Amino acid sequence: MNALQTQASPGRSTVRRGAPEKGTPRRRRVSALPYGLLAPAALILGLVVGYPLVRLVIISTQDFGLRALFTGTTPYIGFANYTSIWDDSQFTAVLVRTVVFAATLVAGTLAIGLGVALAMVRLGRRLRTVSTLCLICAWAMPTVPAALVWQWLFQPTYGVVNWLVSAVHVFGDQRQSDWLAQPVSAFVIIWLLVVWTSVPFVALTLYAGLSQIPAEYYEAAELDGAGFWRTFRVITVPFVRPILLLVTVLSVIWDFNVFNQIWLLTQGGPDGGTTTIGIWSFTKAFASQQYGQGAAIAVVSVILLAAMTGFWVRRLVKSGEEL
Amino acid sequence: MSVFCVVWIFPVYWMVNTAFKPQTDSLTPTPRFLPFPLTLANFSDAIHQPDFIDYLLNSLIVTFSVVAVAIVVGFLAAVALTRFRFRGRHTFLIAVMVIMMIPSPALVIPMFLGLQSLNMLNSLFGLGLTYTAFVLPLTIWTLRGFVHGIPVELEEAAMVDGASRAQTIRLILLPLVLPGIIATSVFAFITAWNDYIYAYVLMKDNSHYTLPLWLATFSTNTSTDYGGLIAGSTLFALPAVVFFMIIQTRLVAGMTSGAVKG
Repeated sequence: MNALQTQASPGRSTVRRGAPEKGTPRRRRVSALPYGLLAPAALILGLVVGYPLVRLVIISTQDFGLRALFTGTTPYIGFANYTSIWDDSQFTAVLVRTVVFAATLVAGTLAIGLGVALAMVRLGRRLRTVSTLCLICAWAMPTVPAALVWQWLFQPTYGVVNWLVSAVHVFGDQRQSDWLAQPVSAFVIIWLLVVWTSVPFVALTLYAGLSQIPAEYYEAAELDGAGFWRTFRVITVPFVRPILLLVTVLSVIWDFNVFNQIWLLTQGGPDGGTTTIGIWSFTKAFASQQYGQGAAIAVVSVILLAAMTGFWVRRLVKSGEEL
Repeated sequence: MSVFCVVWIFPVYWMVNTAFKPQTDSLTPTPRFLPFPLTLANFSDAIHQPDFIDYLLNSLIVTFSVVAVAIVVGFLAAVALTRFRFRGRHTFLIAVMVIMMIPSPALVIPMFLGLQSLNMLNSLFGLGLTYTAFVLPLTIWTLRGFVHGIPVELEEAAMVDGASRAQTIRLILLPLVLPGIIATSVFAFITAWNDYIYAYVLMKDNSHYTLPLWLATFSTNTSTDYGGLIAGSTLFALPAVVFFMIIQTRLVAGMTSGAVKG
């Protein structure tokens, strides 16, 4: 959730601060103050983020396995960790799985979220409040309870979803089906869970943007005889483009990094069938105790994510700086 | 849209429904859709688990300390970033942004090894330290937005009247930003309250568990007790959901105003 607030900037003040007047004695006294105010934050961030990040990169070049924990020596081995994960038979599968999973998650979240937002604009006030409440409940559900509830919904014998699927008599009797035992269905279950929790943010944010579009635009389009898709393409999309970009970038970042839901539901199983790059790094480090390789995978994942989102993140930073 | 609402709320409804149903009504081949007869047995079950109070205290202590530190430090940084122009300001802002993009599982390896070599595994202090890594950037960024929303003229007027810089921050700015500080604290609270992975790695000794960890292991320890497990989940989710409802308008407004301007 930590990227959620990247754009939080309710600054509505139109008044810009002027630079302090030069040459006044006050300015001299003031100039050290901002650094003093910033120092605690910089110190803590350096300690809890900077140092671990540097350490991560260092560990990724060390022979840091079980032996290192006993002997206390961690010899540098250059890029050996990187070459060994490259040679790992899992590498391609994990990478493809991560990208496919993230892509389908982003697509699903955006499609449903946009659909819901478009519908909400047309709703009456009461139904809109009800929808907002439903969305917030799903949004606010912490991951651990959400995953546990999901397990309960899809539980083989007593799960309500199995009962429901069987009750419609289309797919036969599914009451005993254990969805989490098969890689593909396990992935679908995790997908549903992640989409369920991420649609509310996308829907509510897009709705906030859509509700700003002046009704006159649509009235004019209607007079001109434009259909739904044309109106959507010519008016709706251009108007909410910045918000659309924001939610897309954030969705890519979050969905690429989905960890808790997978870990809680399948721990990357069955047979590694739901192991994404984050899970892979984690199990390498903490289950196989090959911290060096785990760190190398983590570094690769950070670089991949940066490459995929770099351009848009730069744009977000720029828009943030203007404040 | 009504169908969508029903589908979307159903998991939450099913959680509450299960939590209030007697155990025997949960485990039926044909589900019961209404929690009658109603019972609180599951809740008392969950609360009377050994060590529940300890886990609750662990969660509360670590969450509140992290929020307190992050808000104080974050507020000072936010003031520096909005009220002063100084060398390194942009660099700092970019650093904060980039930190927010780092996947939190990536940092768990060096944090684990670092705390292990300091003999600080299983310590709430160590856990709190790691939470600060992802709560502090968030509070700095958000508070910066809120401070920016307060017209600087009010402080300038006070300074003309002879107030010192520290006085204007404390007496003028702080009360005005208070709603923003509360919204930010709630958000920071939820972020730290919900963490699972760091607690999972760092708290090996089960007397040092936090609530999410306890919930996650609950199902394997007492595999049949779905009622207690779901009731525990409900209790745990409750503060997050309630707080979220309170701050959500502000949250969404904040996010979109930035995006539209950009």
